[in-house]
Amino acid sequence: MSEINGIDITRRAVEALKAAGADKAQSSMSRGEQSELNIDAGTMSLYRTTVNVSVGLTALVGDRKGTISINRYDDDAIKAAAADAIAMARSSEPDPANDISPARPLERFERGSREPDSAAMYDRLREFIDYARATFPTTNLEQCVLDFGSGTSCYTNSNGAEFEERSGLYSFSAMFTSKQGTAASSFNYSGATHLSLDTPLRDWGSIKELMRQSAEQTTVRPVDGAFEGDIILTPDCLGDFLNFIDGVYLGDYAMITGNSPWKDKLGKPVVSPLLTVRSDPNGPEIEAGYSYTGDGFRAENCDIIKRGALEHFTLGLYGSNKTGKPRCPSGGGAIVVEAGETALADMVRDVKRGILLARFSGGSPSDNGDFSGVAKNSYVVEDGRILRPIGETMIAGNIASLFQSVRAISSERVNYGSAIMPWILSGGVSISGK
Amino acid sequence: MRHENIKRHAALFTDYAELRVQENRTIRISLLNGDVVGNARSAQTGVSARSFKDGVWGFASTPELDDGSIRSVVGRALDNAHFLAAREGTPRGPLPSRPGRSAHDLSTKKPRHSQKELIDFIRAIDGYCATHYPGLSSRSVSLSCLDMEKTLVTADGADAHSLVPRSILAVSLTVDADGEPVDLYEVYGGLGQFEDVFSDPADLFPNIDILADNLARKSRGVYTRPGTHDVVLDSDLAGILAHEAIGHTVEADGVLGGSVAADAMDTVVASPLVTLVDFANTALGHMCPVPLWTDDEGVEARDAVLIDKGVLRSYMHNKDSARHFGVEPTGNARAYGFYDEPLIRMRNTAILPGTSKLSDMLSSIDDGYYFLRSSNGQADSTSEFMFGVVMGFEVRGGKIGDAIRDTTISGIAFDMLKTVTAVSNDMSWSCGGMCGKKQMIPVGMGGPAIRCRLNVGGRA
Repeated sequence: MSEINGIDITRRAVEALKAAGADKAQSSMSRGEQSELNIDAGTMSLYRTTVNVSVGLTALVGDRKGTISINRYDDDAIKAAAADAIAMARSSEPDPANDISPARPLERFERGSREPDSAAMYDRLREFIDYARATFPTTNLEQCVLDFGSGTSCYTNSNGAEFEERSGLYSFSAMFTSKQGTAASSFNYSGATHLSLDTPLRDWGSIKELMRQSAEQTTVRPVDGAFEGDIILTPDCLGDFLNFIDGVYLGDYAMITGNSPWKDKLGKPVVSPLLTVRSDPNGPEIEAGYSYTGDGFRAENCDIIKRGALEHFTLGLYGSNKTGKPRCPSGGGAIVVEAGETALADMVRDVKRGILLARFSGGSPSDNGDFSGVAKNSYVVEDGRILRPIGETMIAGNIASLFQSVRAISSERVNYGSAIMPWILSGGVSISGK
Repeated sequence: MRHENIKRHAALFTDYAELRVQENRTIRISLLNGDVVGNARSAQTGVSARSFKDGVWGFASTPELDDGSIRSVVGRALDNAHFLAAREGTPRGPLPSRPGRSAHDLSTKKPRHSQKELIDFIRAIDGYCATHYPGLSSRSVSLSCLDMEKTLVTADGADAHSLVPRSILAVSLTVDADGEPVDLYEVYGGLGQFEDVFSDPADLFPNIDILADNLARKSRGVYTRPGTHDVVLDSDLAGILAHEAIGHTVEADGVLGGSVAADAMDTVVASPLVTLVDFANTALGHMCPVPLWTDDEGVEARDAVLIDKGVLRSYMHNKDSARHFGVEPTGNARAYGFYDEPLIRMRNTAILPGTSKLSDMLSSIDDGYYFLRSSNGQADSTSEFMFGVVMGFEVRGGKIGDAIRDTTISGIAFDMLKTVTAVSNDMSWSCGGMCGKKQMIPVGMGGPAIRCRLNVGGRA
């Protein structure tokens, strides 16, 4: 498949939408190539290369909106899709919150390589298999994927905003289970995304540490009884809980429905003053960021929570227009949690009774922030010491309360390329064994 | 549309290979508090090839469907297999073969609705919620339709075409209870294009009434007490139990990756009341929610009886895992998009009905719970499972009591299933969700109500 001119495609799409009757129009295009090596059940099993294109066309007829997505970009396909988008918009209902971003001259961005180094990918993956077998002989690599994704994405709208971004990034994810005799650990997984293969894969994210833990988790038992205790969220787990915050308190759905318990808390304290959460798509620490948002704005770094106070919801343009609250200038991704001043070892020493939560398997939190689930790959902590791995242990609490009760944030952090997370210590969580 | 032209490209296969043309078409319409917040259609079309050499696979795909692109994608798949085989390959015996030759187009024969007609249908549902339940603090109604159309040929002679549609309508309602939002949702629909699944919005109004009534009870509900309890899981929960807790544990790739099921074949893993089957396309005389006649490796799909009267009897296989275990492939290899390789996936996984009456099962619970609706679920290599529960009731002295707020239940499936003491004499299917495992895929889950003992989350 030959190189294509992405910005030419989005410009043609916007012109087609306007010619078909759109009052306002926007188009996005992405063309991606993936080159991927897979490990299944401990052996390298698949070499996969894919190409795909996606062209999105959105029409506004008055305040009515319709969207079509296709993976063709010839003139006939674009004209047909534009006509369909107009028909869909005319079928819809008017909503004054529908709009497109203001004019902005074309900006071009580029990060990473354009082509994968297939030989280096193979060598790094082979090295990882050899390392895993030698260092953790009881650990099975259930599925691992090393991927190089490269491509171009473009955006044009009828106000004159335009962006073009090229990127090439390596991503690695590893999922593993340990087994001793017939006793098996829970599976665990981690991964990261980086611009190069300079670092061995075992050192990406928290993979090496989680594999070490997995090897000692084949024999587990529940915590004793039920109690309210402390909880140390690991970096892998913290990312999941910050996603819960986004879904329950900050995002478009929670805000538009009015269900967000923080809907009137902008600028006010919502969590512990120890916590600062930034959204840094432009880095400098984030390698796998992005340059513009899906609704056509330049992505700008911003604080979401600063020293415990709510600085931004994660609203897009529609959500902002709908609620009258400010749009999130970053788009809400590439989350960086600022490091604290407490060493992880000291954090553990501060726990009287609780757990180190390494993976949370739970239901989606309720609209009021209540959560409950199973503590996976986790440890019981008592009197300042990590005692043993646990199984069949459930936890329950409330997301806002959990982050309001944060007592310490670690000075150590894990860089996943697309996010940077520390460990955090909180309390007041219900913990129960069988 | 069946792509007959791909057959001639089978001549390019120099090793075992598969060639698949696929189009996924979607419709998504969403109303939030009466506003149309989603109004979109999409189509993703392309071709993929996969080749097997010395125990490793090469895969390639492109959205271009002209002859040159198809030749190129076959060549690239062969090259990829050779690249990996030269470094990691070990000569193996041939893959098992049971080529499927099937054609099933389940698209509607009725006139298709326009986008406006679809929006009007959803607005009628939304309007009913708003008019009849003015106390709601928010409401959302969304329609999600997916047509998956595949044409497949393989080197061992499979020749298949299928168009399998699914249409799902989800309604979510929220009320304010003492300053806190309490929500509940329900999913309607299933196999078929919209016109074959839904006719009159008024048909759904009684279901909305039940949903609203359950939400009102839930808003006055209590938190569950943490610990191990006797419970009755209604069919929705039994279905997700079959899928998450057992199904994932006995997918052969998971078994090879370290699942506890590796050591459990032909042993007792459940009460003799439990028989669990992953159906290919037809169950108990009816077409399943996600029927499959030929899988994406070209294998004629057959039912896999996973647990027979409490004894583990089979895993779910693709060709390579069947070769490894020396058994027949079951036809469980499925891919979501044209750009995806087939993985071992469930199709329609269900616990079979028993002989008990639900009312008797409930009256036998002295102090426990009756759980009706799940949100999400996850499984583990240990067979430990977790389900979110969004609707249920306390049961005391055999009587239904207070509704409960959202909670989570868990257990070790191979232990918990041994505690099953009753299985109801009816069953129902659900197919509203997607199963995630590297790729997403629609699946069907079914079951009767079961009485068992498991861990319930809650506040200490």
